[in-house]
Order: sequence, then C-alpha cells, then structure tokens
Amino acid sequence: MTEQISSEILHEAIDRLPTSRDVRPAIPKTDDEIIPLWRQRLAIFSHNKLAVASVIFLFIVTASCYLVPWLHPTNQTNQAATFNIPWNQPPSWAHPLGTDSSGFDELGRIFYGGEYSLTLGFLSGFITIVIGTVYGMISGFMAGFTDTVMMRILDAFLSIPYLFLLITLISIFGRSTTFLIGIIGFSLWWGNARIIRGDALLIRNLEYSQAATAMGAGKMHIIRRHVFPNSISNIVTVATFSVADAILFLSALGFLGLGIQTPQTDWGTMLQAGSVQIQNGYWWEVFPLATIFILVVVSINYIGDALRDAFEVRLIER
Amino acid sequence: MLNYILRRIAQSLLVLLIVVFVTFSLPYFQTNGIMAPAYAVLGTHATPANLAIWAQQNGMNHPFFVRFWTYLTQLIFHFNLGHSYKQNMSVWGVIALYVPRTLWLALSALILTLIISLPLGIIQASRRNTVFDYSATGTAFILYAMPSFLLCMLALDAFSFHTLHLPSSPPSGVAPWAIFTDPVGFALPVGCLTLLSVAGVSRFMRGTILETLVQDYVRTAKAKGCSNLRVLFRHAFRNALGPIITILGLSIPGLFGGALIIESVFNYGGLGIQTVFAATNSDVPIVLGITLLVAIFTLAGNLLADIALGLVNPRIRIEGNAR
Repeated sequence: MTEQISSEILHEAIDRLPTSRDVRPAIPKTDDEIIPLWRQRLAIFSHNKLAVASVIFLFIVTASCYLVPWLHPTNQTNQAATFNIPWNQPPSWAHPLGTDSSGFDELGRIFYGGEYSLTLGFLSGFITIVIGTVYGMISGFMAGFTDTVMMRILDAFLSIPYLFLLITLISIFGRSTTFLIGIIGFSLWWGNARIIRGDALLIRNLEYSQAATAMGAGKMHIIRRHVFPNSISNIVTVATFSVADAILFLSALGFLGLGIQTPQTDWGTMLQAGSVQIQNGYWWEVFPLATIFILVVVSINYIGDALRDAFEVRLIER
Repeated sequence: MLNYILRRIAQSLLVLLIVVFVTFSLPYFQTNGIMAPAYAVLGTHATPANLAIWAQQNGMNHPFFVRFWTYLTQLIFHFNLGHSYKQNMSVWGVIALYVPRTLWLALSALILTLIISLPLGIIQASRRNTVFDYSATGTAFILYAMPSFLLCMLALDAFSFHTLHLPSSPPSGVAPWAIFTDPVGFALPVGCLTLLSVAGVSRFMRGTILETLVQDYVRTAKAKGCSNLRVLFRHAFRNALGPIITILGLSIPGLFGGALIIESVFNYGGLGIQTVFAATNSDVPIVLGITLLVAIFTLAGNLLADIALGLVNPRIRIEGNAR
C-alpha cells in the first residue's frame, strides 16, 4: 500500500524537503502509527511557514473584501453624491486612504473592487480547471486519432495570444460580469488541458492502469479510480496558478478599459486610474492597492508551489 | 529527421486551418453578425439600402462555407488577406507597417531576456538558499505577480519623469530599424518587456538546473574531479537547455500579448494596439490577418524549438517522434 505509511517514513521524507533543515514538524513520532494521506500532505504543507502565512493573508483579504462593504458601507456607486467630497484628497480620518479621482473613498473602493476581482478570479480559475481537466483526461486517455485531433485544436488556440483572444471575445459578447467570468475561463484553459493530458497519457501506460485494463475495468472506471487520483497533484497546482493568472488577466483588461464597467470596479481598473495619478503625487491611489494586489497574487502562487510539494507523492514514498 | 520535420509542418498547416476557421467563424456570433463592420463603416444610422449595397460589395450575402472557401483560396493562391474596412488599407499594408515594429520590440526583449536570465538562473541554482538566491527569487515572484502595465507606469514615473529622464515614448516614425538608430528611446519599453519575461524564464531556469544537479551524471562528474564551473556548464547547463528551448518556443504568443500592454503604455503604434483597435471596431479582416500571422510565428517557433531540441539532445534525434 503506497497510501498508508508510517510516521517514520514521513519524517524522513520531510527531512529531505528543501525547507526542512532545522525544524521538525509536530507529528507524533511513533513507529507503528499509520498516518492518512491527507494528513501527510497537510503536515508537509503546514511545515512551509510562508505558505501558511500566504493562506492566512489570502483568507483575511478575501474575507474583508466580501464583509467590509457590508459592515462598513461607503458610497461606491452613487456619483452624484460624491460632488460634495473633494477629489484626490490625501488620507484623513474621514477617508483613511484618501479619495480617488471621482471622490470615492479609496479604502472602501479597494474592498469593493476586490470583491469583483477575487470573485472573477476564483470562478474563472475554477472554470479553466474543470474544462481543462475534462478535455485533458479525455484526450490523454483516448490517445490515437482522437488525441491527435484534440491536441491540434489545442495547439491552434495556444498559438493565439490569450489577450488577443480575450479582447476579441469581449468585443463580441460584451462585458457583463457573468460573461467576463465565462470569457476569461474559456480563454485560459488551453494550457491546463495540455498539462493534464500529459499526466493522463503517462498514467495510462503505467502498470497499474494496464493491470486494471487486464482485469476488465472500463475506461471511465480507470479514469475515475486511477488516472484522476494520480494526477490530482498537477490539477490542484495548476488550478491555483490559474486563479492567479485569471486575476492578472482581468487586471490587464481593466487597464485596456475592458474590465468591470464603472461605477462598479475591479482592481485592474482602479490600478489603471490610479497609475495615471502617480505623476500628480497622489500615491494613495496606487501604492496601497498595488501592494495588496501583488501580495494576493504572490500568495496564491506561493500556495500553489507549496501544494505541489505537498502532493509530490515521490517525496513521501521513498 | 526530414520525415519528422515534414510531418510537423503538415500538422502545423492543420493547426493553421483550425485557427483560420475559428477566427473566421467568431464574427458570426456578434450582434449584427458579420454585418457589424457595416455599422462601423457606414455609421449607426445607415439606411437598409446602404447596408444592402455594402453587404453585396463585400460578399456578405454568400453562405458561410462559400465565404470561408473564398477567403482560403484568396489566402493560399493570392496571398490576399483582404481589405480593412475601417482603415481603407489592405491587411498586408497594415501588417507590413506594424509587424516589423512589434517584432523588433519583442525580439530585442527576447534576446535580452536570454542574456540576463540564463546566467541568473544558473547562479541562483548553484548558490541555492543563499541571500542572493532568495532575493532574486523574491523579486521574480513580485514581478511575476505584478500587472505588466503597473510595472510600466511605475518605471515611466521613476525613470522618465523623476530621474534619468528617458524618453517616455519610443520614436513614432514607421521605420522598423528605429530601434538601432535611437536605442535610448526604446530603453523603457524594451527594458520593461525584458524584466517581465526575465521573471518567468529565470525562475524556470533555476528549477531546471536544480533538477539536473541531482542527477547521477552530475555526481559522477563531481566524483571524477570536475571543477564546479565545468560541472555547471558542461553537464548541468547542457542538459537543462532542452526545457528552456521548449519554453522559449511556447513563449512567443506571450511576447506578442505582452507587447500589446507595453505598446499601449508607451504609446508605440504596433501590432498589439492595431489588434485591440480592430477588435473593438469589429474590423474583422485585420483581426483575422494578425491572428493568423501570430499563429504562424508561434508554430514556426515551436517547430524551430523542436528541431533545436533535436540538435542539442541526440536522444530525441534518434527517436524522432518523441512528442
């Protein structure tokens, strides 16, 4: 059984991890105890302190983006009501991060825009991984002619720059929030499908899949019980990076003026509006948001890296 | 080898056909369908008579497959990509005008990326877990997470408005060799594009070298007394070249996509801006032509990458159909 190992082996595996020279994780060290796979993974993941910090940071930012606009509502949509508020006002007690060039409260707007950016990022990242997994699994598992045709279609889409595809689709389908989620999800899944197809192709030819075939297992059964669980490491990692990519692409769209429409906003649109104002010295319209944005994307990427370590079965097994 | 290349070219042609088919059928889903350009050309209050005349003139009344066939035959036998509705130029004219500009921008950034990120990745891998490694990795992480336009805007603010006073926009003439006659004007856009791709490539290079450093042949080389430099460059680097070449081939569409943002920030009329302009104005022939061109570049890049892979790695050359 490869899935159930003793804590002794797990300790050895963790010792072999690049980050674990000095500290040992707090796993009870007994020779006969069997540790479930998810706890082994959790142990390896939580051993990476930066990754844990990233999860906490991401959780705090996400929670405040969804909760703060409810707990402490600021006017973010009524442009008529901002006429009395000075524009581009530096930070004060009334507006902790000042006001932007339309008179909206900057701090409140960061959370308000974050709600859109994060929702779109997570949902379209989810779409990319679902489509990518299904497509990649089918293509890798069918092999032969089907695989060739499906891969050539993938090649075709991969040779069009993502941004060109996004812009063309947006100019065709418009840019309501729902469509944006779909369009970003649809434009970014090609790379994921290729990675997962490689995995499926590899696992399909391994001994245990062949043994299952020899025992008369159907294709769907092998995909469900062997291919999918064994490629979960790549799926989870790729999903994490897709979310970061989706957030970045949404911000690029915001820069091109194709993001969420005003008076609603997203981080890309806000950064674009703010970065025009740096020359005037209105730092509060860019740097706080830029810091949060970069940290969010960095932490998502970092969580992806740590997840890859945690799911790397080879590190546990040997 | 020749057999392999021929088969790859045939496959690339198939891929190109798919690209053309997809981009050709996308406008049918627009509001107003393929007549959308008519409103862009004639105005939103165009009379039905005018619209009908325009449709007749531009062959819009034919069924889908007739139009597709006409487009293909025009493309293959006459190298005719059509006529831009909005700019009143042939698509080739637009491409000839703007492609060299973007190509120089992307190519010089690509070369600079290689020059910087390969040594950087090697040094990082050989001095793993030192302060230098951590700071380089951290910087790469941040650059990777930064929206590209934000980096450009900050660079513009720092190096154009406050210190150094570099030109904020490259020379706007159409001469493609302006990058040689006025390199200072290109310092900011090329620098930003380079920095953005260095973040990805150096990180990848570091990972690949690290993977080769734990291989048995590296240990053998060390055991028989090779110097560290020799191990790094003769053994680790040469074996890490394969993945790097593949990544470079795959990064071509990314370079064009990145150039789009750079072009809009630094106000440099190139391919990217043309595409956005054409896409938002439903100037279908331009979008089709440029997409096709970028796809050709990408496929050629992938093909070259695979051939180069065969050159640096004899094992693949023998197997031939490793992919």
